Amino acid sequence: MSGLRLYEPNGELTSLLGRVDGGFGVGQVPRDKQPDATTTTVCGFCSTGCGLRIHLRNGEAVGLTPATEYPVNLGMACPKGWESLAVLDSDGRATSPLIKDADGIQRPVSWDIAMRTMTERFRAAQTIHGAESVAFLSTGQITCEDMAALGVLAKFSMGMVHGDGNTRQCMATSVAAYKESFGFDAPPYAYEDFEESDLIVLVGSNLCIAHPILWERVLRNRRNARVIVIDPRRTETAAAADEHIALKPKGDLALFYAIAHELIRNDWLDHDFLAQHTTDFVGFSRLVERYAPASVEERTGLSADIIEGLARTIHDAERASFWWTMGVNQSHEGTRAAQAIINIALLTGNIGRPGTGANSITGQCNAMGSRLFSNTTNLIGGHAFDSAAHRNKVASILEIDEARIQQKPGLAYDEILNGVRAGKIRALWIIATNTAHSWIGRGDVRDVLAKLDFLVVQDMYRTTETAEVADLVLPAAGWGEKEGTFISSDRRITVTKKVKRAPGQALSDFSIFKLAAAYWGDGALPAHWATPEDVFTDLKRLSAGQPCDITGIEGYRMLDERGGIQWPYPTDCDDEATERRLFADGRFYHRDGRAKFCYEDVRDAPDATNERFPLVFLTGRGSAAQWHTLTRTGKSAILRKLAPREPLLTMHPSDARLRGLRERDEVEIASRHGRTRVRLSLSASVGIGQVFLPMHWTQANEVTVPVFDPYSRQPSYKATAVQVKQARKARKAAKP
Amino acid sequence: MEGNTVSPGSGATHEVLLQRLLTDQHDLTAVERFALKHESETAPTQARYYRNLLPTAAPSVGQQYAFEVDLDACTACKACVAACHNLNGLDDGESWRDVGELHDRNRYDGTVQTVTTACHHCLDPACSNGCPVRAYDKDPETGIVHHLDDQCIGCKYCTLTCPYEVPKYNASLGIVRKCDMCAGRLAAGEAPACVQACPNFAIKISVVDHASTLQRAGAGAQSFLPGAPSPDITAPSTVYRSTRALPEGMLAGEDLNLVPSEAHPPLVAMLILTQLSVGLVAVERLSAWTGTPTATPATLLSAAALACALGLAASTAHLGRPLYAFRALLGLRTSWLSREILAFGVYFACVLGAAVSANGLANGLADGLADAALVAGIAALMTSVMVYHATKREMWNAARTASRFALTAGALGALAAVTIAVMQATPGTQAAPVRSLASVAAALCFAKLCCDRIQANPDADPDSVRSRSSALLGGPLRAIVYARWALGLIVVLSLAVMVEVGTNPVFAVTVFLLALAGEVLERNLFFRACTKQSMPGSGS
Repeated sequence: MSGLRLYEPNGELTSLLGRVDGGFGVGQVPRDKQPDATTTTVCGFCSTGCGLRIHLRNGEAVGLTPATEYPVNLGMACPKGWESLAVLDSDGRATSPLIKDADGIQRPVSWDIAMRTMTERFRAAQTIHGAESVAFLSTGQITCEDMAALGVLAKFSMGMVHGDGNTRQCMATSVAAYKESFGFDAPPYAYEDFEESDLIVLVGSNLCIAHPILWERVLRNRRNARVIVIDPRRTETAAAADEHIALKPKGDLALFYAIAHELIRNDWLDHDFLAQHTTDFVGFSRLVERYAPASVEERTGLSADIIEGLARTIHDAERASFWWTMGVNQSHEGTRAAQAIINIALLTGNIGRPGTGANSITGQCNAMGSRLFSNTTNLIGGHAFDSAAHRNKVASILEIDEARIQQKPGLAYDEILNGVRAGKIRALWIIATNTAHSWIGRGDVRDVLAKLDFLVVQDMYRTTETAEVADLVLPAAGWGEKEGTFISSDRRITVTKKVKRAPGQALSDFSIFKLAAAYWGDGALPAHWATPEDVFTDLKRLSAGQPCDITGIEGYRMLDERGGIQWPYPTDCDDEATERRLFADGRFYHRDGRAKFCYEDVRDAPDATNERFPLVFLTGRGSAAQWHTLTRTGKSAILRKLAPREPLLTMHPSDARLRGLRERDEVEIASRHGRTRVRLSLSASVGIGQVFLPMHWTQANEVTVPVFDPYSRQPSYKATAVQVKQARKARKAAKP
Repeated sequence: MEGNTVSPGSGATHEVLLQRLLTDQHDLTAVERFALKHESETAPTQARYYRNLLPTAAPSVGQQYAFEVDLDACTACKACVAACHNLNGLDDGESWRDVGELHDRNRYDGTVQTVTTACHHCLDPACSNGCPVRAYDKDPETGIVHHLDDQCIGCKYCTLTCPYEVPKYNASLGIVRKCDMCAGRLAAGEAPACVQACPNFAIKISVVDHASTLQRAGAGAQSFLPGAPSPDITAPSTVYRSTRALPEGMLAGEDLNLVPSEAHPPLVAMLILTQLSVGLVAVERLSAWTGTPTATPATLLSAAALACALGLAASTAHLGRPLYAFRALLGLRTSWLSREILAFGVYFACVLGAAVSANGLANGLADGLADAALVAGIAALMTSVMVYHATKREMWNAARTASRFALTAGALGALAAVTIAVMQATPGTQAAPVRSLASVAAALCFAKLCCDRIQANPDADPDSVRSRSSALLGGPLRAIVYARWALGLIVVLSLAVMVEVGTNPVFAVTVFLLALAGEVLERNLFFRACTKQSMPGSGS
């Protein structure tokens, strides 16, 4: 203390906020966080794949700023990116393996005991109930190398047949749609297409909140584009757009068929493109004949005028791009809806040119990696389990016995949980996902998980709803504490680096898989996979000859220097552009080189509203500061401050008046599946007859009803029939 | 399920591998394989994006720097807040910028406008005007309102005077801190953290004329930000732009939440005890002037001095850095808090002098000093009223606050005098004057309850400041309201019993303590039910 002066304009407290030039072009930084080096890494939250400049001191991260020149985010980041390092420091981190003892309390144990326990229990289950009785649920949050190690270990060595990922909850529909339409799971775009469009149509996508940096790219548009948002809710993005088309929930497929009907009726078609590059246009046009705009008014909640206007706007645009996210994917007919969007791009030739495309924006940082390398739905490397040639190729590259590769795909997420329910699956290994929170109809999921003989949860945090019920918790290092590659939405393969020490005994997922392999027995993982980059070398070889060929990438260093590289990048690739799109030559991945029109009649949503459940319950992202089940973002005081304090159900004021409900009333939401309580917020941002609750709160999936798209097995999180009542009255009514 | 642990066995087989993996995990040299920037680049690379967001010239006379916000481009990503926190090295959860929402008042058109907001570097900063220790400094050249962290004593008064709730109290440091527009960055030609970080370029720094800012301030909230506290109070320099016409009278998201304000227990104690003190002096003087004997003047004055001393002591508990309380008179020129402190200082000197004199040390001076104490006490009480009135919060306006404070002084003063008189009286000899003082006390206590009730009334607009305060009292604060009423009614009834039937010291002391507790609850509600028009984001 510098004496008790009467006036002290400067002193110790003032100097706490001192800033100095950080050097390295980072500008001023807090005095105690001056770096001695910087390096670029890629963010580990969403699939945008933003470059972050890590400020290092003595090799360890002391801060970060968005990477100025990175081709994705152009010097910007959303709050999650800014707080990436902060969420690593948390009391909730798992710092040693935990085993549930006979009293049901999780207690720390050594890695040795943890690994021997896991091995014994898995083997015991398989011995008694067969190889298929042990399964895994993985994630889009770990690196390609982690996923590959898990997929190879579990399926080729441990003999598991069933493994799936949380990408089933966000991406499966786009995968199914692209595979059938294009012949390969291939989002065709570059982010630059946002800047090159004349018309940007966002479908079921709240870009401003879910992908703020992609909205940045929309605002960088150079052609004065018109932005149209098709969404039941007046989202932040809808409010910021030029036009908001407030269609009824699940009216999307009918709407796009009606638009196609209009395009065809007016002959607003790209005939050359249709003739040369597509198949089954005739069948499609025959189907959409039945979908005149006037005939879908009831289903879409939109007047024929609006639909006709939309068709005209699309026709008038020289370059129209169509972007969709979970509003389309999470549906009982999501695959067909996504394909309906693809079909419109095909009809109008809006594909392969700058500013065009039928473009699915992914959710998680490595959902795209999971699609190619997780060895779950697809055989590793975007291959097919049921192709002998593919099995042979994979076996020879990985130097394993081809017979160890299953010949049929395993079960999807919901089917695995059904297997648990039926007692067929007895042990489950969950990696970096929070099933007990995020799975549709979660009240039921907790009962299902309780049926398992053995539940292993591998996670950064021991505090997730799922880790808390695990028999064994394996402590994992997180983003920033390990190395590997991600693939972002635009097919960009990027490097994420180790810049922090993991707490306690936590190990990277890759190391955990290596350890598990060692305990399982000799050769459970290829011997030459010493480091993640060794795995990457094999992933490159696996990609050879595939649409996603990346054999031209030398290694991590090259990825780092280029700011990531989009697939394909085959050995002879001479296109060094930082942003590349697919299908410029009109050649698709089907054997005939053509894109296929895929279509099917519109079906009613299975969980329909009726007198008892008259409202449609919508879910979605709540704020840019929240990520999924809040496992990470809940650990940052700043992100918590930027998120709503409690779950609020948004309801239209007219629906509230009808029920005698007021702002902030406590209400009960009841569906055919479950019920929960939250407070009410009144806003006409949702339509009459609809209510909205952000997905980040555990309450949301207490209510959702398990309904799935038949092709993608993706859950339909966005159309649950519910009733909403004053909680007090509901309580009284419940009493006999 | 039975326990999961395997039987103990030889764990050495894989120990080598495990140790290697753990060592690898803690080794951070892997990053050195990549291109690391080691050499210092001179210019900040982000300048390419923010160059156009900074003014080309420094402000000249009659001008200052201001934040300029393009509301059309603000889409609630909140990167500005995270960047402010990170680039300024702030404590956990601390940031100088916030993002909030404005909602349409009737909720039927679904308009939601997200608003990024920080310090408005006002032309007439209420934080600075209210500060008792001159811990604010408005830079004459840039117009930036700096908070002088080392000068701050942590009285938090600026957190009440700033209509936008910009200064934030940092409990671990015991001081308030706030945005300085990254003055050091601006001086070096860099953009403030928030300006650098906005992906949509929604925030920029511009130079504004004082004259036009004042003119806008006089033109009402719509000219600043719809639904925000009136710019007339402080003349905020921030310019919000929007091509969309935002409806008038929008509501900040914060105003939809029924969250009670902070309670400030030391201030509750300080207000109640000082008012009790002044009330006692008033009773003593009135009985001296009217020649109605109640309790002995020496005891009344001593009690008054004691209450005042306790009250002032309690107020220092409110300070984050009480050691520096001696700076509190520096702000006399503008701060009602400084004036209150001075006034109570003078009052305390008088009442202490009067008490000492009356206790026989200088009997001749007692009357004069007690008169002076009464005058100083009333003046001090008025400064207390002004401390709250000066925040320009409707719930704390002069009329509402003065009636509460005066009635507390009267009711508690009379009741304390009755209690002392009862304690001094020989049993069975209840003097008539005590009974009449008790009926005065009963009337005042009842009047106080009525006053509270009237002030709790909502008005016709359900979203108005008064209606929201009323909703708080009827909602989250309901239990305190009930308790306060129960205590108040028991006190009034007990006083009636005293008047009609008689009393004894234990009963009297009990009634007094119940009344005191009732007033503590009332003052707690005074703070906690004080709603105001919020700036969007101020509640985050």
